Amino acid sequence: MKKLQGSAAAKVCVWLVLLCAAFGAGVFGVRAVLSFQSVVADSWQDSSRYYNARENRRRELVDGVYLTCRLDALEQQIAAGNADATLQADAEALRESRAAIERQFSRDSTWFRFRLTDADTGEVLGANLAEDESMFRAVKDICQYTFELSEVSWAEYGYYNPNDYGYAVAPGDQAGQNAGEAGPAPVKLVLEYGVPEDVDGPVRDEFSQIWMTWMNERADFDMYLTGFLNLGALSLLALIWVLWSSGHKKGAEGTVTTWQERIWFDLYAAVMIAAVVFLAVCTVELVQQLYWSSASLYAAQSGSYASFYDLGVMGAGVLFAAGVGCGSLLLRTFVVRIKARCLAKTTLLCRVCGWTVRTVHNFIRFLPFTWKIVLGFGAYVIFSFWLNMVGRYEGAFMLMYYCLQLALLLFLSWWAYGYYRLRQGTKTIVGGDLEYQIDTRRMPYDLRLQAEDLNNISVGLAGAVEEKMKSERFKAELITNVSHDLKTPLTSIINYVDLLKTTEQTDPKAAEYIEVLDRKSQRLKKLTEDLVEASKASTGVLSVTREKIGMSQLIDQALGEWEERLNDRSLTLVTTLPEGEVWVYADGRHLWRVLDNLLSNCAKYAMEGTRVYLDLERGRGQVVLSVKNISREALNVPAERLMERFVRGEESRSTEGSGLGLSIARSLTELQGGSFELAVDGDLFKAVVTLPQAN
Amino acid sequence: MYTILICDDDKDIVSALDIYLTSEGYQTIKTYNGLEAVRAAETHEIHLILMDVMMPELDGIRATAKLREGSNVPIILLTAKSEDTDKILGLNIGADDYITKPFNPLEVIARVKSQLRRYTALGGAEKGPGLITAGPIAMDDGAKVVTVDGESISLTPIEYNILKLLLSHPGQVFSSAQIYEQVWNDPAYGSENTVAVHIRHLREKIEINPAEPRYLKVVWGLGYKIEKGA
Repeated sequence: MKKLQGSAAAKVCVWLVLLCAAFGAGVFGVRAVLSFQSVVADSWQDSSRYYNARENRRRELVDGVYLTCRLDALEQQIAAGNADATLQADAEALRESRAAIERQFSRDSTWFRFRLTDADTGEVLGANLAEDESMFRAVKDICQYTFELSEVSWAEYGYYNPNDYGYAVAPGDQAGQNAGEAGPAPVKLVLEYGVPEDVDGPVRDEFSQIWMTWMNERADFDMYLTGFLNLGALSLLALIWVLWSSGHKKGAEGTVTTWQERIWFDLYAAVMIAAVVFLAVCTVELVQQLYWSSASLYAAQSGSYASFYDLGVMGAGVLFAAGVGCGSLLLRTFVVRIKARCLAKTTLLCRVCGWTVRTVHNFIRFLPFTWKIVLGFGAYVIFSFWLNMVGRYEGAFMLMYYCLQLALLLFLSWWAYGYYRLRQGTKTIVGGDLEYQIDTRRMPYDLRLQAEDLNNISVGLAGAVEEKMKSERFKAELITNVSHDLKTPLTSIINYVDLLKTTEQTDPKAAEYIEVLDRKSQRLKKLTEDLVEASKASTGVLSVTREKIGMSQLIDQALGEWEERLNDRSLTLVTTLPEGEVWVYADGRHLWRVLDNLLSNCAKYAMEGTRVYLDLERGRGQVVLSVKNISREALNVPAERLMERFVRGEESRSTEGSGLGLSIARSLTELQGGSFELAVDGDLFKAVVTLPQAN
Repeated sequence: MYTILICDDDKDIVSALDIYLTSEGYQTIKTYNGLEAVRAAETHEIHLILMDVMMPELDGIRATAKLREGSNVPIILLTAKSEDTDKILGLNIGADDYITKPFNPLEVIARVKSQLRRYTALGGAEKGPGLITAGPIAMDDGAKVVTVDGESISLTPIEYNILKLLLSHPGQVFSSAQIYEQVWNDPAYGSENTVAVHIRHLREKIEINPAEPRYLKVVWGLGYKIEKGA
């Protein structure tokens, strides 16, 4: 099937079949159309062809009467002797014409029957009936035609010559007498005529022709109709095949267009439709000609008429086939264009309309928003004003007015709904769902732009948040891994130094060296732990669980841990606590680390024999803890620098601290939502921790 | 003679632990990843396992979970992770104790001994009328004797009274003032830090590592408590 669809030979064959079938259908169709009237009519005399032929005969007869009148007048003049050669020739010519008419109307050459009588006198002036034949017997339905001879100005009266089939002009004297005064009195004549129903005989004229045609056509109509229907169906099938196989080509995928599809469709259609209309008009004209000619005297008497008629029918068939061909071509290209989805593209009208609509649309779309509103409102006002002026709110204008209002309402609702959706989407995004995408389908253009921007922002934000979370996780993992990698070798060092201590050393110095190793490895351990903790605190990787903490209790516990060690360094602790418990929101373990670091700082760097002041105050929703001590060494670094990692007083570098204590304390305080400040005044060192108070 | 399974991917640490434990008279089996440890535990009679957390093949947490499917042998985790969540995870999965790296060899020995005592000997201590226990700590109020893992410790009367108060309400947090009022029978007037000092001394006697207490815990800013079922 697919093969047949693309086959070029099949296409040619189908086109041939289509045209041949159309030709055949045309021939049979034309014959059927020509025969149709005969089939419908019960009698052969019940047809326009018959009426036409009969009335033609009547006109010829009346012409003959006038001709006779003129001839009689001429002959009178000749008889009077005052006729020159020209008149003689005229008379001769008229005589010949009269003789021809007489031949035509003789019973031997026609089935036409007539009787001419004077309306006033009832005298029979002429007839071609047989001897003693009644007009009524010869013809069933007799027609009557009444006319006057007055128009014939040069003639006098016509009279009837019983010996002849013809007319005579009335005697001139009578006419001559009256001519001067009142003109000739008109003679009223009645013509009775008709054609017998039975025209089967040796006489061949148009009536017998019509009768015979009628007989034939009645007999053959069924054949014509059957032929037309069958061939019509065949050509329809061929057309369907043509349309089905159109656009396919052997060895080519998809729809193949030809040069025809490169012509603008409207142009092509116009030419083709014009051709079809022209051919149809020609066919109709030809058929009409055939119809009338088949009823003519010539057709009856000429032997070659039958072949001429057949030729005419063939010609009509050719015209019909050509019309069908043109129509099929048009249909074919239409179908191919639809198959190739290029109908609108190859239609000039569509292109022009599309371009116009696009241009206007783009113009409106890219108009600044304010202008849109101004122009839109202006158009609305002008339109309503025009309606008001022209229609005065009546009838159709009233309807238009309501439609306008309805359209305006729908437009505003559309806008409002779009805005509502935008608003909801924005709320959702603000609510934290950064993945949310606003649905921009069927949104007004301006709102859609806004929505798309928002969607882009939310996509960017979601990415940034994800990036941040990833980097947090990465930091935490890094710290864990580094701490593991530092601690594992350190464990071995500490353990093996410890094992060395238990062994017997031959060299007394070895024990000393081992002692150094032991001390330094312990210090390295402390440093590593502090470093890990400082990293965690400053990167915010630590988890913070804030709860209600009693500051007095905490200080009490801290003193319990540190008092003896401070006393060992001959430092005196002076604590000032407010009445009752002071509550703060903080993480107990982290806050303990802060206090632990501060007191450890005092133990390390305070001058022996001095006092360490520990004050707790509350007020304005805050709790302030301050630790003051006198430094043993001169503080040659500003307070800010002291909080930086690994920074210590110049001389304290050799002591056991890591230099991270204050940095850790600050980070931990800040993690809990508090603030940590240092102040240095001479040798006075002061640390202030401020935390939010809990009720 | 107890057999101890040591498992760490660092061979030097395993050797060091082996030396310490052998010198203490224990038999050891050395393994270097979680899978080996699980296989060794199936084929030998083991009394205690020392296990590292971060190991290739099978990490300490998974290995512990696997071992716990068929055995209740004590497991001590050696961890470089000092995060609290890691410790909690390890204990929840079935470990009995943990030691953070870098560790003190003496602490390791002490914890091993403690776990072994509890695993082998404990559970037999009869519950007398005056006996109060919380984990390894047992207090015989009649004889005024306190033992930790079966080893008796000497306490001052005030320390004894504080421990008695905390032990009789395990899990409950007592502030310094509450403890002072209950033990001294006096209203507290800002002299509570003596409580903190006593508690520190008490901790030093009970705990293996007083800086990281397992039984007598400091709840910073709130008070002190004895861990429930420690």
